[in-house]
Amino acid sequence: MSKAFAVLGLFDSADALMKAIPKVKARKLGRLETYTPYPIHGMDDALELRRSPLGGMVLVMGVIGALTALGFQYWISAIDYPIVTGGKAPWSWEAFIPIMFEVTVLFATFTAGLGMLLLLNKLPFFGHPVLSAKAMRAITRDRFALAVEADPELDAEAAKAALKDAGAQDIEVLDTPEQTPFLTSDFILRTLGGIFVACLVSGFVMFWAIKLFPVLPPMSHMQDQPRLSAQQASTFFKDGRGMRMPVTGTVARGYLPSATGTQEEATALPNPLPRTPEVFAQGKAAFTNRCAVCHGAIGNGMGSLTAAYGAKPANLQAQQFRDYADGKLYWVIVNGKNAMPGHAADLDENQRWAVVHYVRALQRAQNAKDEDLR
Amino acid sequence: MKPGTPSSPLLLGFTTVGLLGVITSYFVSGPERFWANWILWFLFLFTLALGCLFLVAIEHLVAARWSVPIRRLPERLSTLLLPVVPIGLIALGAVPVLYPGAKPEALHHKILAGKALWLGLPFFSARTVLCLLLCLLALAVLVKGSLKQDQTRDPQFNVRARKFAPAFMAIFAVVITVLAFDWISGLTPEWYSDIFGVYLFAGGFLAALAATVLALGSLQGQGRLQEVRRDHRFNLGAFLFAFTVFWSYIGFAQYMLMWYANLPDEVVWYQVRLQGGWHAITVALAVLHFVVPFFALVTRDAKGDPRRLQWVAILMLGSHALDLYWLVFPVLGKGVLFSWPEVSFGLFFVAGSLLWVRRALTWGEDMPVGDPFLPKGLEFHL
Repeated sequence: MSKAFAVLGLFDSADALMKAIPKVKARKLGRLETYTPYPIHGMDDALELRRSPLGGMVLVMGVIGALTALGFQYWISAIDYPIVTGGKAPWSWEAFIPIMFEVTVLFATFTAGLGMLLLLNKLPFFGHPVLSAKAMRAITRDRFALAVEADPELDAEAAKAALKDAGAQDIEVLDTPEQTPFLTSDFILRTLGGIFVACLVSGFVMFWAIKLFPVLPPMSHMQDQPRLSAQQASTFFKDGRGMRMPVTGTVARGYLPSATGTQEEATALPNPLPRTPEVFAQGKAAFTNRCAVCHGAIGNGMGSLTAAYGAKPANLQAQQFRDYADGKLYWVIVNGKNAMPGHAADLDENQRWAVVHYVRALQRAQNAKDEDLR
Repeated sequence: MKPGTPSSPLLLGFTTVGLLGVITSYFVSGPERFWANWILWFLFLFTLALGCLFLVAIEHLVAARWSVPIRRLPERLSTLLLPVVPIGLIALGAVPVLYPGAKPEALHHKILAGKALWLGLPFFSARTVLCLLLCLLALAVLVKGSLKQDQTRDPQFNVRARKFAPAFMAIFAVVITVLAFDWISGLTPEWYSDIFGVYLFAGGFLAALAATVLALGSLQGQGRLQEVRRDHRFNLGAFLFAFTVFWSYIGFAQYMLMWYANLPDEVVWYQVRLQGGWHAITVALAVLHFVVPFFALVTRDAKGDPRRLQWVAILMLGSHALDLYWLVFPVLGKGVLFSWPEVSFGLFFVAGSLLWVRRALTWGEDMPVGDPFLPKGLEFHL
């Protein structure tokens, strides 16, 4: 003999059902549930059902969805691979909003759907015992059932008595059904295995179908695109070159042309950079790479290439060069002097001025004043 | 109207003080600022009243039953359209002052000269007058008919209203779009946004819902409309909640497209509003018009809680005014202007319309007692 799952009391009207609820509830026999042909207003309050936690879950998951989308996009666009697209800064929150919205909705709806079905309604649940009740047909038509359900055990006799006292016309006892386990390890393994085999088979079929019947290639490979590689000739352009020249006057970002003019005009230029450790470090790096081979590591004109070069590089420690204005040193770096070539192509604006600062530091180091030594 | 509406010396005093400030501001702060203020409050009252009429019409259109018991509130509030008519006619004085398309310089502007007929004062005025007339027609059919039904108990009114409601939707779409394009977009005639009418609708409908919620709270505070229960309030709250999202959706969609395209003649409209003091106003608008009401109304309890609804409604009316301020005032090009002229205008129009609404709330019965669907509406359960 199986245990009783529920005792159903059947009523002829919604009013009778509503009146019976508090009476049966007072006996505290088990969980109360009603089964009616149509929704009855006020039933939630009468049964004192707890407020569904679904709304809170959806809100929390929605916020998490928004933050997830924000985090993903911020990481991709601003940290991992920042590219300026359409003239927008990598961190442009405006562009993130639509995807944040979508992901919020995605998380929220999945939480609502799956949370309701799996967590709160405890699905999958294939056959509710009440569905096999004899009274079920009447319940879907014109009768109203109040069920006392096991929570976890049910005193069927007491429940029968309670329902009778509350005015139930008929009583029906439902037995606990035999429940078959659903999510066994065997079932999970077989499902996963089936999915794996299905993927494998469909992959092979697709691969060979494309190989053997290449009527409509489903994808074109990236190397097959109609474009020219670097240095290739073109029949499209008049000059026959595949690569296009930049428009006259084009200036690359961060490479402003040096507007030095004549030596006299340049001499008047002040050094725009501050004297900070970073600037000196930049100057030292540029000087070591570009200048030290001739001018020497301390700028005294005794570089390692001096002998091979055949010309005497300037001794920057000499009084003549210590008296040079910053702008004049800068002009020489850009345009060169005597045998020295101009370095405009090697050093950008900032590096040149940093080198000027560094040369000043070298000069001061070799001609230190008393207060420097203190 | 029932006799014995108690007069309110306080409101009357505020209105008078406001009126003095309004008149003084014309001579002291100059006509441009005066007209900007005037347009702001014209649009505020117009969109509010029109939103109320929309709320009434949509009930007839979709044959809603739950809102029958509270329908008298938007009906009474929509009578604000009557004072809006003179306010709107006076507002036409702003057209030659503030609207570049109607100024004589427009003839030297290639785009504006091509639209001279449309943007010029005569046709501009004609459109506004036509809009006002259409609104008065709708008011006569929907509101006057409903008030008359209190006595006649003639269910034929519901049939007429349901037939008129679809036509009203067309009227409403035209009026709100013309209002938005002419009176707000027209301030910067080189700037276009197709969705602008919808944006103004979202704000105006929110203001109408908020005003309805406030009127309901005020009447229930006086012991009237006691049959209106939490279920009805909850629906109003849900509407209010939904339309904060709708407003921000439209507002952001408009902003994002222009931000992405970055076309000079479009983006400049936002550029002005994202610089200096206007930037703070823009952020405040997003917070007060969306973030705060959204989270204030997000829970189920909040939507039915009368106190919560009241303060959210006050906030929404305030943010609708802020929204219009944000739309209109940057064209003066003088940064964020807020001083005694704005306060006087606020006093005059708010206190003045409260005076009107106090009287309007006594017109007819508190519920449309002649409506055959009233019992059904009173039975409404969520």
